[in-house]
Amino acid sequence: MMYRTSTSVSISRAAISLIAALLLCVPASGQKLKLFKLQKDSIPLMRGFQVSFDAVGVVMMQIGDYGHYEGALRLNLHDQWFPIVELGYGKASHLNDEVTGLNYKTAAPYFKVGVDFNLMKNKHAPNRLYGGFRYAYTSYKVDLWRHDLPDPVWLWDTGFGVDDEPCSQHWLEAVFAVDAKIYGPLHLGWSVRYKRRIVHDEGIMGKTWYVPGYGICDDSNLGGTFNVIIDI
Amino acid sequence: MSNKTEICEKGRRRSESARRRGMLLTPFILLSSFMFLHILFSCSSIDCPVQNLVYTNYGLYKSSGVVDTLHDTLYVFSMKADGTDTTLFNRGINVTSFSLPISYTCPEDTLYFLRVGADDSFLLDTVWIKKENYPHFESVDCSASFFHKITAVRHSHNGLDSIIINHADVNYDVSNQHFRVYFKGGD
Repeated sequence: MMYRTSTSVSISRAAISLIAALLLCVPASGQKLKLFKLQKDSIPLMRGFQVSFDAVGVVMMQIGDYGHYEGALRLNLHDQWFPIVELGYGKASHLNDEVTGLNYKTAAPYFKVGVDFNLMKNKHAPNRLYGGFRYAYTSYKVDLWRHDLPDPVWLWDTGFGVDDEPCSQHWLEAVFAVDAKIYGPLHLGWSVRYKRRIVHDEGIMGKTWYVPGYGICDDSNLGGTFNVIIDI
Repeated sequence: MSNKTEICEKGRRRSESARRRGMLLTPFILLSSFMFLHILFSCSSIDCPVQNLVYTNYGLYKSSGVVDTLHDTLYVFSMKADGTDTTLFNRGINVTSFSLPISYTCPEDTLYFLRVGADDSFLLDTVWIKKENYPHFESVDCSASFFHKITAVRHSHNGLDSIIINHADVNYDVSNQHFRVYFKGGD
């Protein structure tokens, strides 16, 4: 059997809008860039780090067919700007679907980089509201198969599947998050994320079901995390 | 000294108030987290295409390029895996176009076009359609299927003048006419 290599690439309108919004933020020459202005007070610029892990992915891994382990390192700049790197390992193992008989397996690392902005009026309060964005990327391989798929007309028993099909995806996330100080260095928080794919290669089978770090490729572009955070 | 005590007291009050705010936020966060998890798990939607049949469309044409109507009766059949035949198109009279299934993974489909005239005379032609097959996947919730790319078509010339490939890609888009068929006698 011959396969055709098809690379589906789509440039999201959201990405274009984001670039346009950033361009609009660039001031005319001579003006100050207010977006990145820090509050004037005696608090130093470097306020430390936060490490965190996402509990949602772990719970999903335990109770469902897919999930992820994800940790993050966030730099605190003046309690106002928070550059962040998130590293994770996403995994899906959906075996012998009771309706379609399909099997789907993938597991791969992913990363997200971005920045959060503290939306609170009092930037130095112990609890924070964040708005931010992420750029994310993963390269993953998919095993997809069905044991028997008889041709309904010719009745040949046809094998359906791909093995180690290489795929990749770039995507953007708009983030809204809450972070509350619980005790000492311990914080708890959650985030809601609106995700849009910008470039994706889903191999010869046309589409993928689960993308590590992105989740299920369905109509819903929403995702989220529940974070356990430690101040360093 | 009294100033220092006042400052300390103010600081203590501030930290106490911050602690209270934190204590109020904690149940809010936990409650909203559970609600959030509930929403997250209940928002997954199955999105299978409504049109999920893959078949080929044939259009009949005269050599002048206008649509032809075949007044003979047309049958199309093929051989199954077990060696018996299967009818793919039955008793087509006055047809201008028709649709036929395409095999999932055979590298070349063999079809038999039988054209029966009003006087019971018949003309039998064999059509070989060479193609590439590749699995198509939407989601684990949607049925598996195969898409195809037609690479070549050849045939005998008893009742058929020629068949040409009009659209090579065969997929869920059934609005395309994949073959143009020219029967003999269709001037």
